[in-house]
Order: sequence, then C-alpha cells, then structure tokens
Amino acid sequence: MNTRVLLLYQKPHFIFFPAYAMAADDLMSSQKSHRMRKSGPTMRKKSEIDKKKRGVADNKQPNPRAFSVRSVVKAKRLKIRAVEKEQRRIHLPTADRTYGEPPPFVVVVQGPPGVGKSLVIKSLVKHFTHQNVPEVRGPITIVQGKKKRIQFVECPNDINGMIDCAKVADLAILLIDGSYGFEMETFEFLNIMQVHGFPKVMGVLTHLDKFKDVKKLRKTKQRLKHRFWTEIYNGAKLFYLSGLIHGKYSQREVLNLSRFISVIKFHPLSWRTSHPYVLADRLEDVTPPEKVQMDKKCDRNITLYGYLRGCNLKKGMKVHIAGVGDYSLAGVTALPDPCPLPSAAKKKGLRDREKLFYAPMSGIGDLLYDKDAVYININDHLVQYSKTDEENGEPANKGRGKDVGEDLVKSLQNTKYSVDEKLDKTFINLFGKKTSASSERKLEADAQSSPEGSDAESSEESQSDDDVDDHEMDVDSNDGKIKEKTELRGGRLRRKAIFKDEVDDSDEDGDDDDEEAEDAESDGNEDEDGEDESVSDSQDSDEDDVEESEDKVLGNISKWKEPLKEKGRKKNPNLMQIVYGASASSATALINENNEISDDEDFFKPKGEHSKNLGGGLDAGHVNSEDCSKFVNYGNLKNWKEKEVCEDIRDRFTTGDWSKAALRNKNSVAGDEGEDDELYGDFEDLETGEKHNDHENMESGTNEDVEAAERRLKKLALRAKFDAQYPFLLECHHLTILSTISFADKSELEDEDNDNGDGINPRNSEAKEPGFVDKLKEELEIRKQMNLLELNDLDEDTRIEIEGFRTGTYLRLEIHNVPYEMVDFFDPCHPVLIGGIGFGEDSAGYMQARLKKHRWHKKVLKTRDPIIVSIGWRRYQTIPVYAIEDRNGRHRMLKYTPEHMHCLAMFWGPLVPPNTGFVAFQNLSSNQTGFRITATSVVLEYNHQTHIAKKIKLVGHPCKIKKNTAFIKDMFTSDLEIARFEGSSVRTVSGIRGQVKKAGKNMLDNNAQEGIARCTFEDQIKMSDIVFLRAWTPVEVPQFYNPLTTALQPRDKTWTGMKTFRELRSEHNIPIPVNKDSLYKPIERKTKKFNPLVIPKKLQAELPFASKPKNKPARKRPDLDARRAVVMEPEERKAHAVVQHYKLISKVKTNKKKAKEQEKRKAYEAEKAKKEVVSKKRNREERRERYRTEDKQKKKMRRGQD
Amino acid sequence: MGKTTYKRLKGSQSFRQRLLLATLSSTPIIIDEIRADDMIPGLLRHEMSLLRLFETVSDDCVVEVNETGTRLKYKPGIIMGGKNLVHSCALTRSMGYYLEPLLVLGLFGKKPLSIRLKGVTDDPKDLSVDTIRNATLHILKRFGVPSEGLDLKIEARGVAPEGGGEVLLTVPNVQSLTAVQWVEEGMVKKIRGWTFSARVSSNFEHSMRFAARGIFNNLLPDVHIFNDHKSGPAAGKSPGYGISLVAETTAGCYISADTAVSCGRTEETGEIDVERRERKPAEDTGVEIASCLLQEIEKGGVVDSTHQGLLFILCALCQQDVSKVRVGTLSPHGVETLRNLKEFLGVTFSFRPDPSTGTVILTCVGSGLINLSRKLS
Repeated sequence: MNTRVLLLYQKPHFIFFPAYAMAADDLMSSQKSHRMRKSGPTMRKKSEIDKKKRGVADNKQPNPRAFSVRSVVKAKRLKIRAVEKEQRRIHLPTADRTYGEPPPFVVVVQGPPGVGKSLVIKSLVKHFTHQNVPEVRGPITIVQGKKKRIQFVECPNDINGMIDCAKVADLAILLIDGSYGFEMETFEFLNIMQVHGFPKVMGVLTHLDKFKDVKKLRKTKQRLKHRFWTEIYNGAKLFYLSGLIHGKYSQREVLNLSRFISVIKFHPLSWRTSHPYVLADRLEDVTPPEKVQMDKKCDRNITLYGYLRGCNLKKGMKVHIAGVGDYSLAGVTALPDPCPLPSAAKKKGLRDREKLFYAPMSGIGDLLYDKDAVYININDHLVQYSKTDEENGEPANKGRGKDVGEDLVKSLQNTKYSVDEKLDKTFINLFGKKTSASSERKLEADAQSSPEGSDAESSEESQSDDDVDDHEMDVDSNDGKIKEKTELRGGRLRRKAIFKDEVDDSDEDGDDDDEEAEDAESDGNEDEDGEDESVSDSQDSDEDDVEESEDKVLGNISKWKEPLKEKGRKKNPNLMQIVYGASASSATALINENNEISDDEDFFKPKGEHSKNLGGGLDAGHVNSEDCSKFVNYGNLKNWKEKEVCEDIRDRFTTGDWSKAALRNKNSVAGDEGEDDELYGDFEDLETGEKHNDHENMESGTNEDVEAAERRLKKLALRAKFDAQYPFLLECHHLTILSTISFADKSELEDEDNDNGDGINPRNSEAKEPGFVDKLKEELEIRKQMNLLELNDLDEDTRIEIEGFRTGTYLRLEIHNVPYEMVDFFDPCHPVLIGGIGFGEDSAGYMQARLKKHRWHKKVLKTRDPIIVSIGWRRYQTIPVYAIEDRNGRHRMLKYTPEHMHCLAMFWGPLVPPNTGFVAFQNLSSNQTGFRITATSVVLEYNHQTHIAKKIKLVGHPCKIKKNTAFIKDMFTSDLEIARFEGSSVRTVSGIRGQVKKAGKNMLDNNAQEGIARCTFEDQIKMSDIVFLRAWTPVEVPQFYNPLTTALQPRDKTWTGMKTFRELRSEHNIPIPVNKDSLYKPIERKTKKFNPLVIPKKLQAELPFASKPKNKPARKRPDLDARRAVVMEPEERKAHAVVQHYKLISKVKTNKKKAKEQEKRKAYEAEKAKKEVVSKKRNREERRERYRTEDKQKKKMRRGQD
Repeated sequence: MGKTTYKRLKGSQSFRQRLLLATLSSTPIIIDEIRADDMIPGLLRHEMSLLRLFETVSDDCVVEVNETGTRLKYKPGIIMGGKNLVHSCALTRSMGYYLEPLLVLGLFGKKPLSIRLKGVTDDPKDLSVDTIRNATLHILKRFGVPSEGLDLKIEARGVAPEGGGEVLLTVPNVQSLTAVQWVEEGMVKKIRGWTFSARVSSNFEHSMRFAARGIFNNLLPDVHIFNDHKSGPAAGKSPGYGISLVAETTAGCYISADTAVSCGRTEETGEIDVERRERKPAEDTGVEIASCLLQEIEKGGVVDSTHQGLLFILCALCQQDVSKVRVGTLSPHGVETLRNLKEFLGVTFSFRPDPSTGTVILTCVGSGLINLSRKLS
C-alpha cells in the first residue's frame, strides 16, 4: 500500500510538474513557483534512483577489503566450486536423429475437473485458426506458425489418461483453479511427468474472477506461484487468466498464452528419442462387416492414424497400445499430411488459408484421409447438387441462380484433357514442403482436397474463390460416384469428395477428377502391395498383377505411367533383390570370380550356378549349409609370381602409383554420382521442388572431390549449429543451404580439418579439451548431415526400407485381432498411445529398481502387495519384493518399504532398459481422496535371477548338556538337514557362541530321534537357554504381471486387478491372523527367594576372622542404648517450656491467618464469578451484533453479484 | 502372461549368427530340421559346444534340444560376461568359429568378458587366432570399442585332431557402437605375417615364410613375417603348422588370409572328411596364402571376404546413424549375414555396386542396439 501512495504522490512531481509550472508562468506569473524539496528521505531515495538510471556507479564500495583474497585455500575452493557448478550445468549433447519435418508438438492441457481445460483449448484454437471448436475430443492439430504445428490434447480426469498424456506431452499446461488452490491431480500429474522424463510445464491459474478482494487475489497468486515453484523450479512460468468475458477468456490473455506456448523450446527426452510413438488422432474399425455381423464379439482389425514421433519406425516393429496390449503392425502406410506446414515462401506470418487445423475426432476438419480414399462428412442440409441436367437426376438445385463459380466447376466437370496432359501444363505445388508420401500420393491429395491449393491450381479451377460461397457438384460415372463440394469456409477453400461406393474395375474415362481419384486409389493399392509384404521374389508377379488391374482400371492414365514403370524397373538395384529377394526358395548368393568378369551384367552371379560350375563345393541342401565365414577357392588362384599379374594390383600398394590409387576412390565417387543422376532422372518431371533440391545437391556434389565434400559437410554442420542457436534466422531448407555453401568460402575450416585428421572418425578428436562439449556437438552435427546426405541419395522406398518411416510422417497403422472391446469402448477423449517396443522389451524378466515411497503417500508399502506401475509405454500390475543392500552386498528382503529412504524393489515384468523411471500406484479409482502415487522409482538393471535373501532363525532347545557340548533338538527336522548345516554357528540368547557339529544320533541311543544336533559352545549352556541358528534363505519374486486393459472396458469403470491382502480381508471380513506367541504380555517377575548362605563348618573354621560369619544370638532385652532415659536440668526444662510456648503461639497465629485468607479468597471467587457472568453476557451480545452485520453485508454482496 | 513367441527357422545354416543375433535382439528361436536328412543328423559337436559357450556367457538362457538334435529351442538370457570363465571347445572346429560370435557378444555384456578357450586354435576352415588378434580386433576398434581390455592372448597352440591350444580373450563392454563411414580402402603399406609350428620342425615355418615373401617381393618391401615355434605343453597335442598374413593399408584397413595344416592323423576324429587334400609341401602353403592375400587385396573393400559378415553385423548393431562400408564381392557368408540381419534386427542394407573397382558400397542405418544389460551405476 505504501508504494502505491508514494507513486500517486510522486507522479505530479516528476511528470506533470514542468508542464504545470509552464502553465503557471503563462497564466499567473505573479504566483511563486513550486520549490522542490532538496532534502529528506524522499529526495534521498529519489536521487539514488536517479543515479541508478543514469548508470552512475556507486563509488562507495562496501569495504573492499572484505572481498579480497584472504586465504589461498579458501579461494581455491571457491574456484573449484564455481567450476564444478558450471560443469554441472553442462550436459552432454544428444544426437538428434529426427530428419523429417518435425511432428506437431503435443500440448497437453491438464487440470482437475471443472477448471476450464476445454475452454482454454477452444480459446487457443480460436486464436490460432479463427475457428470455433464445438467440443474437444481427441487431439486437435493446428498450424501455428510457418515452422511449427501443435497438437492440443485434453487430459482426461482419470489417472490412466493422465499417465498416457504425460508420456506424450511435449508441453503440459497445468490448469489450476485459483479460487480453490492446488488439487491433487496437478501434483500427481507433475510426478508422473517427472518420472517419465520431464517435459516443459506451464501453469495457468483460472477462476481468478472469483476474487473480489484485490489484495487477497495478489496474495493468492503469490502463494500459488511459490508453491508451484517449489514443485518445479524457481521461476517456472505461471500464467494468470483473469476471468471470463462472454464465456471466453479475454483475447489479450489468450494471445499472451499463445505467445508463451509458441516460444517454448522442447528438449529431447531419452525414452522418447529412442522409441517411436504415435498419438492416434483417429481410429477406424476395418473389420470386414460380414465378420462383425456373424459375431459381434469377434476380434477386430483397426487402423490408427497419427503423426510419428520419437524416432523412426520400421515396418516389422512391435507396438504397445496403451491400455490394450502388444501387437505387431500388420501394415504401416505413410499418408499425406492432413495438416501440412505452409510452403516456405518468403513472407511474414501465415496466410489465412494456411491456418489449417485437423481434429477428426472432434467432428471438424471433416476431411478424412485414408490411404486409398478420402472420406467426408457432409450434413444433409448442406448437400446440393449442381448437375441437374444429368439423366439420373439427383435432387435438384435449390433454386439458386447460376453464378460464375458454378459455371467454372461445371466446366471442370466436362474436361477434355486427361490428367497427364494437364500435368504437363500445370505446376502443382500442393504441399510445398516435403512430405514423405510419394508424388502419386500427392496427386491423390490434390485430387481430393486442396486445403491450400497453389496459385496455379486455384486460378485454373476456381478463379473467383472470393465470391464463390458454396458450389457442389455430383459426378455420376458409370459405377463410381463422387460427390465433390467446394466451399469457402473461414477464409479457406476446401473441396470435398466422397466416394459413394467402391470403384469398380470396369471404369472408363470419367472426368479427370474421377480419374485422379482412382489413380490414387490404385496407387495406394500398389503401395500397399509394395510395402506390406517384405520384398520378396513374388514382387515381380505382384507388380504385374497390379499393372494389369491398372491397365483395366485406368485407361489412359496407365499410359503416362508406363515410362515411369519401365524406368523404375530398370533402376531397381538388382543386388538388393538378389540379396534380400528370393531368400526363401533358394539361397542365392553372390560371388565373383576374377577371371569371369566379362561385362557388368555378369558381374554378379547367383551362387547356385557357381557351385555347379565348381562341382559342388558345398554339400547337402542350402538350408543345412556349413557355417563357415571363410570362402576361399584355392583352385582359382592366379600365379602371382608373374610380374604382369602383379601389375594389376600394383596400384593397391604404396609402391604403386599414388595418383592412380587416389583416382580409384575418386572415380568411384564420381561413378556413384553419375549413377544417382541416372536414378533420379525419371523423377524430375514428377517430383516437387524438394527432389529438385536433391538433384541440385548431387550435381553440385559431382563438381567436387571427396575432401571438398567433407569440408562442405563440416561447414554445413557449423551452419546448422548456428541455425539451431538462432532459429529465427533459419530461412531456407537445409538442402538449399547445401547447394549454396558448396560455392562458399572453404578456407575457414581448413585448419580444423587438419587437426581432425580424417574428419570422419569422431574418436580422433581429443577429449577433455576446453571446448569438449562444443566439439561433441559439432561431431554430432556432422554425423547428422552425413546421414542426411546418405539417406537423401536413396530413393523413397529404399530409404523407408532402410531407415524406416521418418518422424513427423502421418502414418496409418493397421493392427489386426484387437479385442472388440477396444472399438466398443473407444472414447475419443482418452488418448490412444501407440508406442514402439525396442529390442528385448517384449520379453519378461526380473527388474531391479531403486524405489522410494512417495512422501505424500501415507502408508508404507508391503512386500508382495500388488502395485500398478507405469513403466515405459506400459501400465501393468506386478508384485514387488522390497529389499535393501547390506554392507556386504547382500540384498536383504524388507517386509515394508522404509519410510523416507530409497530401497530396492525386485519385480517381474516386461523388461525396460536401465535408467527408465516409473511410478507406482495402488489404486486407480478417481474417488480416492489421498495422493494416489505410492512410489517413484528407477530401473537399475535387469536380470533373469533374483538375489534377494531373507533372514531366517532356526530355534532349538538343548535336550542334553555335557560340558561344552549340548544336544539341540527342535532346530532341525532330519539328520539330512543337520548335515547341510554342519559347521554353521549358533548362539544362545545369553550370547554364548557355538557351532553345529553333527547329527547326534549315537549319543541318544535309547530314543533314536531324528534331528538332534550336537553342538559345541564356548561355555556350558543351560537347559533353559534357547539356541538360535541365523541363516539366510533366498526369496522368490513372484512371476506375475498383469497388463492394465483400461481401454477394453468403459472408461469410467475402475480397473480391478489382483487385490491386496488387506482388501481381501476387509472384503471377506477375515481378521488379521494373530500369532499368540507374538503378542505382548505383561511381564511377570517373581521376586526371587534366595536361600540363606550356608558355609560349611569346616570352611568356616579355616576362614580368617574378618571373613568368618559372626553369629550373634538374638537378644531378649533391648540393648543399653535403647533403654537409656534422659533427665533434664531445671534450666534446660525451662528453656524447653519456653520454646514449646512459642511454637504454640506461632501455630495458632498461622492457623488464624489461613482462615482469614480462605475467607478472602472465597469472597474474591464469588466476585469473579459475578463478573464473568456479566462479561459473558456482554460478549454474547457483541458477537451477535457482529454476526448480524456481517451477514447483512454478505447478503448485500450476494445481491450485488446476482 | 509371459508367453514367449518363438521365431521359427530351419536348417543349420548360419547357426552362429542366428544364435548371436537372437541373443542380442533377445528373440527366442526354434530351429527345426537341423540336418534332418543327413547321415549324422542333428547338431554337431561344435554346435553343441557353441551352445554351451552361450550358456556360459549368458545368464538364464534356455536351450532345449530334442533327442536327435534336429530341433533346437533357444531362449536367450542376459549376457553377463564376467571374469575367469573357461570353455573347452569341441575339436571339430577351431577357435575362430567360437571367437567370431563371442567377440560381438562380449561387447554387449553386463560385465567385461574374460574367457579362456581351450581346443583347436587353427584350422583351414576358420579364422586363425593370429588373424583374429591382428586383424579382427582392429575392425572392432573402428566401431568405437575401446582398445583397453580388447585382447586375445595365445597361450598354447593346438591343431586339428587333438587340439590342446589355449587362448585368453578379453572383451570390454560398450554402451553402443558408433557408426562408421568406411569406404576408403587406402593402399597396402605393410604386410605382416605370423607363422607357427607346433610339434613339428620349425623348418616348415621357414619355408612358408620364404615362399610367401617371394610372392610379395614384386610388390612391397615392407613385409615381415614373425615365427612362433612352440614346443612342450604350449604346442598342444597334435603336430601342425600354419600361417596368417595381414596387409595393413594407409586407410587403416586390415586384409587377411590364413590357413593351418595339421600333420596329425584324422582317422580318430571319426569325421567323414572325404575330400581331404593331400598334404602339400610347406612352400606351397606359403605361396597359396600369399596369393590368397593378394587376391583379397585385388577384390578390394575395407575388409577381406572372411570378415564381411562381422563387418555387416557391426554396422547393423550401431547407433541409428548411417554406416557406409565398401567391400569387395559379396561372399556367400556375407549375403547370409545380410539376410539374418534383416530377419533379426530389421536392418536392411542398400547396395551400390561400383563397377570401376569391382566393389560394392553398402549403406545401412544401425539398429540402435544399446547394451541393456549394463547396470546403472
């Protein structure tokens, strides 16, 4: 409050005063001008501020001697500490292996129920795309900027959904009800995220309009902010949304929030960069309908669609669908991006038509792409048909006058040109940036939808898209029906197409749209054929089939494809087919005989032939061929003694011609490039700009030799690093950089080249240099550029075969035999997470983890009580055994987890790599009041064996005691057991140590009882002693894990798995079993009665006198001292009497005093009681009054609010 | 729950690689029809011994073989590594047979591997221990394997029928392998050779050296062939001699050729080795191996044909970066390897033949296998 007052006071001083003074001078010159104060605390403060503003240094240094180096040791320590701190800040750079266009970043909006999650998403979507989302279901992808897309996901309120969301989130927006404060969900979510790699987090306070009191609001903000900071880090961003305006957040605040979202940088998380994953934004059931009709509960085939994230996905990979289980992918197809980034034209900001968004599950963006079709939902009332003059007249035009657009569309419908002709004319640049789909697929996308058609296209097809509002057309060819609808909605042009029924084979020349669609479809088929099957020998025949069908289907379309196909066939590297092709039928292999080289065609020859020629070098069938890595044919050795023969390889030796040898490498490089040119020759006319880049790149590559290429790479790496640091400068695609750089100055990097040796081998560079991290970063960058260069050399299919689908590709995953429940209980509000499984992660084993009970969970965890863990992509229930490591390395079992300490947990489940974190839960129900996370943990190692031991105490009793030997019974049950424990140490309760010797059978011959052990002790033990044998017994960890199938049941139902003992007992009303011996009983100690010490007479006689017991016979009369009487002298008696008198007097006096005091107190008490009654009454009155007024105020306020 | 799905394979071909790759990718496999129609059906002795070796090195792997040995069920465990391991190899194959998979396996263990192998050190079928020591280990280093702790010590020689050789292999463990761009072959700058003789006169060695040097005389002066004459217990139980030649190039490639000749009688082994060549004079052996080496050099590539398989495996096990290697003509073993890699690790190579030099450039993206069994410290 003080500052506020001060400000108000100061304002006129600083700002308005001169103006005021001037005015005063003009008007009332007679008046005395204001004199500024020149002293006092206010002015002192002011002058200080002024100085600071002017940047005048305070020359008054606070005691410089206090900061000088006093102690060398201390200074050294300080320095070391500073360096250490600096080093700790640095972390090793991670290799970025995402080469494709980055997938949309996942922004998870999380918060407890009723906090305004959907509203935030809606507001943000509205802000980015100017579109209203009716409801938020499933991920919503939007193009946010020229280089960035984001995907909003609303986190469901149950813990399973929270876990899955935390695993995919790149940024988590935690919504907090400011008027209520933090709720458990927020902290739970934070903890889950922390364990699964901590993505970026931003807090947003909502419901701040509930506060009426400004001060209270400020205090609450402050409090919540600091609490938030303690949980994340100091300075974590907490955003405030002040309140609703017309049921929406204020635009300014949403804008600010969106800016914060857009500037956030994401760092790679180790689990995610090593595992591919897809957050599905669409799910389709593709089970044949007949099958479903026959049996509603049959296993389903589903397709899932989404962007690939994390790392590349290979075809044969197994995946885990969170909440369902592990499946192998039946098919993976790359689809054109439904929400592509805008073309990289030089312009500021996004155009309206580029502000795309895609949310198939939310019911907007009703364009659904499949690999062979595009589906559109059109509301019935929107359907209008343009071609009324068609024979089979569809519902008529709804009385609208013909406009330009309609004409245009109709003219389009009656085209004369075929696609190939059109292709020659038009330049189609649909998805300007690179999409992984092949060019044919792009065509498909073009045919079906043009969310952002290029200028050429739009000019040709609908020039006046500004004034066209809505025009639809219906094309009726012989069999297939396509509805197409173009509309201008929200500033973007959208064309819809729908296939009414399956396109038949016997389809001739429809209009070109139709053709294109079909073309795309058949292409899709071809793709599928090519991709779903691993490359096999049957491919050729397959291709032929496709070709035939194509010929049937396509009419003239197939013509333009013919040359392509021929080329494609020719370009196919035969070696790959030979190696990977017909492997099933016969093991063809390649060898090359030196003397057989005639031309390039016969360069590689199947091995079978060869072995025939050689007369069968390998016995038996190929399946059982001998496993031998050597393959030397001694028979065909040349005679190297001859000089001429030697001359052939002269240049392979340092004695030969060095330049020729260098040429060998150079030639090969040039040859490769040439071949590549040939490879890419066909694609030139079909592929879009990106491929041209490739081409250019290669052309530029041909001009240079290897060293130059290397240097170029390095330069490129540096450039990329720079760009990474200053992303806003990054303007053009890296490949274009590549071509430009090749002409750039190369001399700069030469020195670096020199010290790096070959520049390729990363190990050559010395570690521990000052710029170690920088160097490492550079190496990684070089490696990345090299990879890119290599991979871009390959053609699309081979590349996918080799590296898998790149991240950022929009994928269609087909999965077979999924339980029908997944489809039945599918809820779009819950994220569908598909995570790739790495090597060995699908096999189960024991894992050892370092676990800590969560500090907010009230109870400790019990060994063998089932817990639910979320680990990797999976969630499953397992039974852990807790242990702790002893000093000697033994893992001792613990019955319960320690309260505040880490312990080891051993459990069985699908393996994950070490260093993977996980969270544990006991209960997943949403109606639980407490904190649901019971423990957090990290996997240390895995094992197929467990080494946990438990202490066991064998208890026995002596049955016969010799001198130091005792026979112990009850400890063992058989002699065999004793034999096992021979030599082990035992101990009595009193601490006498001993050793097990042997089964003591022969000693107790009369009753031949088994299991009596002979033990020796260091001292004689007593019959009442208890003997212990301490031993360790291995503990078995139960082989149990139960995957959580939460996606296979209604989402609101709580998943129930194995129950804990406690739960079972409480359910069945079983009391806790009590061991009677373990109960505490009151200790009863009988007083010991000792017999009198009896010393034998003989001994007594020998004892010295001092030690001899002195027996005194009992006296009958008291002794003299007791019997003595005291007689006082007369003076003495007098004195005594006087003292007695005084004593009496004082006694009486004190008695009187006491009585008086008591009376007084009584009176006082009575007075006090009276007063109290009065004051009570008054208080009550007062309070009543106060409450009444408060109540009135409240009521007033409430009325005011209403 | 806990149900394992086995990959089904047939035949005994590339048995070592199948086991190796199954272990590395932890894929349980079933191999059927192992020499089902052969005279001697089922697994052979060295194959059983290899299985034992895998059991020794790894923890909790399950091997089930049916009565005839024609069907093998293998469920890999965790590669443990460890010190003071001993394995006595079957005498039907030499140590190169065991060492080749073991080198790769040891890299991905929980602890550094140190194992003593006993048996036949050299035979004509497999890589000799000298070659492994002097060429193969260098290839490993190329992939980022630290040179400390990577060693092969030959403590005793042993040739074919009786064996009695002993080597000590130590392999460090790695987190992951680094990808290589290894296309430059360079020029041969020196040739080194190692001959040995055990229980025979060292004259054999001398004549081999002399003959081999004679071949190289035309081409390179920097040729040195060491000899290693063993006697007593270090010479093993059977007489024999052998040679291993390694050519080192300016680009750090090692190209090798080797063989061994056993002078012992083979009747006792009971193997049907119908096609036994007549024993040649030692000079011929020297000339033959020298010629082999030159032929390997002529073929080109950064490794010789024998090491192709290993090279491909290492490339496929690398981090998810592009590896590019140049090899001469693909050997049958190399092709087998490529297929196995695709089968187990899903790594496909792309080929680019280079007709001017008669070599092939292979490109692949590593599978990104990381050493999972290493404990988190």
